[in-house]
Amino acid sequence: MSVIDQLKLYFFHHHHYIDEPPDEASISSTWVVPPGRLFDPEKGHQLYRRHLRQIKLAEELGFDGVCINEHHNTVYSMTPAVSVMAGAIVASTSRVKVMVAGVPVNLTYPNRLAEEYGMLDVMSGGRMEYAIPLGTGMEYWSNEGSINPTTARGRFRESLDVLLKAWTEEGPTRYEGDFYTYRYLNPWPKPYQKPHPKIFIVGSGSKETVDLAVDYGLGYSIVFVPIPSQLRAFDRMRELAAERGRTVDPDDIIICVIAYVADTDEEAVREARPHIEKFFSWFHRVPPKYLLPPGYVSTEEFLRRASDAALSDGTRATWEDMVAIGRIACGSPDTVADTLAHWAEEAGCGRINVVLEHGDMPEWKTVKNMTLFANEVIPRLRAKGTQATVVDEEALVPAGVS
Amino acid sequence: MPYEQQQLIVNGIDTAVLTAGEGPPLVFFHGAGMITGFDALLPLADRFRLILPHHPGFGDSGDDPSIDRIEDYVLHYLDLFDQLELDEFSLAGHSLGGYLAAEFAIYQTARVRRLVLAAPVGLRVPEHPTVDFFSVADEQVPETLAADLSIFEGHVSMPPTPEFLAERYREATSFARIFWRRSYDVKLPKWLHRLTMPTKVIWGSADRLIPPAQAEIWAELLPNAEATTIPGAGHLLFDESRDAVDAVARFVAEEVTV
Repeated sequence: MSVIDQLKLYFFHHHHYIDEPPDEASISSTWVVPPGRLFDPEKGHQLYRRHLRQIKLAEELGFDGVCINEHHNTVYSMTPAVSVMAGAIVASTSRVKVMVAGVPVNLTYPNRLAEEYGMLDVMSGGRMEYAIPLGTGMEYWSNEGSINPTTARGRFRESLDVLLKAWTEEGPTRYEGDFYTYRYLNPWPKPYQKPHPKIFIVGSGSKETVDLAVDYGLGYSIVFVPIPSQLRAFDRMRELAAERGRTVDPDDIIICVIAYVADTDEEAVREARPHIEKFFSWFHRVPPKYLLPPGYVSTEEFLRRASDAALSDGTRATWEDMVAIGRIACGSPDTVADTLAHWAEEAGCGRINVVLEHGDMPEWKTVKNMTLFANEVIPRLRAKGTQATVVDEEALVPAGVS
Repeated sequence: MPYEQQQLIVNGIDTAVLTAGEGPPLVFFHGAGMITGFDALLPLADRFRLILPHHPGFGDSGDDPSIDRIEDYVLHYLDLFDQLELDEFSLAGHSLGGYLAAEFAIYQTARVRRLVLAAPVGLRVPEHPTVDFFSVADEQVPETLAADLSIFEGHVSMPPTPEFLAERYREATSFARIFWRRSYDVKLPKWLHRLTMPTKVIWGSADRLIPPAQAEIWAELLPNAEATTIPGAGHLLFDESRDAVDAVARFVAEEVTV
């Protein structure tokens, strides 16, 4: 049996604020310190409506799920309060799984997160999934000063511990930790799914986050880092699990890909490339200072990154570099299906978060891309499974719903 | 006369201690940036036994993430001074070290004969706020730290090496363990009344990190203090001005001559 047999495809949406100013060259960072004047509330209102339209379209087109995430102080994301958007999505959809990926749990109170996430799960009738990030370095510049980047990893581990305790032990319980103390840990409502919705750790493949996922028996959702780093992280995850006598279910590994489908490879690259380049050059514009606040990584890790030109200067990569090291699949339905199937088998993943809206892409291209992906790529992917005897109509029924 | 350096294990922390000279002991608490080293302070060794420990997480001392409050520094130095059998001494500190010196003296009033606070961080002065060092753009760090940029010659290559940047990242990390949230302690004014020993507050008039106008606020809050301004010097006043070093020497020596 191949991972393709159980492959789940999630429509991943960044919710960019799409309105690049004419003086963009003078703006040094679109994270942490983007000029407040760049935000036009009328444009923002239109974009929230547009983003929600695309989420609803993803459900209608047969994606297994949708995935949204959280960032702060940035044109990169209009969902700094990601649970609010998730509430709107839950109310606007009826079938699709909703993955929230997610609130950096150490940036909030973990009991409050258990409440928000519990609410969403009950409201949605058990359609929620959660991927929990440490939070990028930028989030620490953007939040209250008591969220100290030097304790980020310790707080992350402990806040996750609080969340899982709140969901797996009969409340009320006590918690006495280094960072969090609860007399009565007892968040209401409790999740709809038992013992709790599926949880992934979001990471860039660091040893700490992989270890954390294995320690707690959670899934691992990798962010957009070079493919060899991703494969190393998954190998490590499987090795660690094997040491403990467990195996990693492919459903516990998510890769994230950038995809654009058109009738031909040439047309796909021509239509997508300027927007994907804009995704990196504008939406990813962030000085190294903000990527690595003090203590966010060890001094040794800082030295490793500072010594590696590719890591320290990633935003200036060329198109060819990006295609070579990253999961960018642009092409005909056959090309994209073949590429994704190869990546899924190589990674041993059972899930793919597919990014189909790129940078400043106009809505018509996004809708065309989503439609072609759903109608032409997904059936081709399903047909590659070793048990691919189902007809197309059934192929569109999401896994887990039968 | 160069420093002699020894490494002492202090409650598990490998601690570098630089010493130079003979005479009454003078402990110096350094600031968070160690780019220029401490040779500028060596004239103090002509009159005193100068003792300059590297803080945990800085320079040649080891890391200890659990040193994350100013009180942990005070306790670390109580341990160190026990090992060094230092009972009474004069104490000077610069920037982070100035705040630490004041804090140490608040708890250990009887041990500190004379106190020097050089451009200390730690007070909230809304009219003359301390610049948030973490917010300073990398390219503006040199001019924020010094009025005389020639003091960095021989200490920084351009562009900086990854190793140089990593050492600065380590200093920023250790500094952030205490000061990420903010550079002041709201309760500090409440306890400065305990510093009854003769105290000198010394500041460069061109300090662009911690405004020299804060010197007067310190002098008002301290019971037995005088403020001295070094004309033209920036935040790294001892590197920039021999007069600043000599002023410290004269002030600390007064107890010997009186």
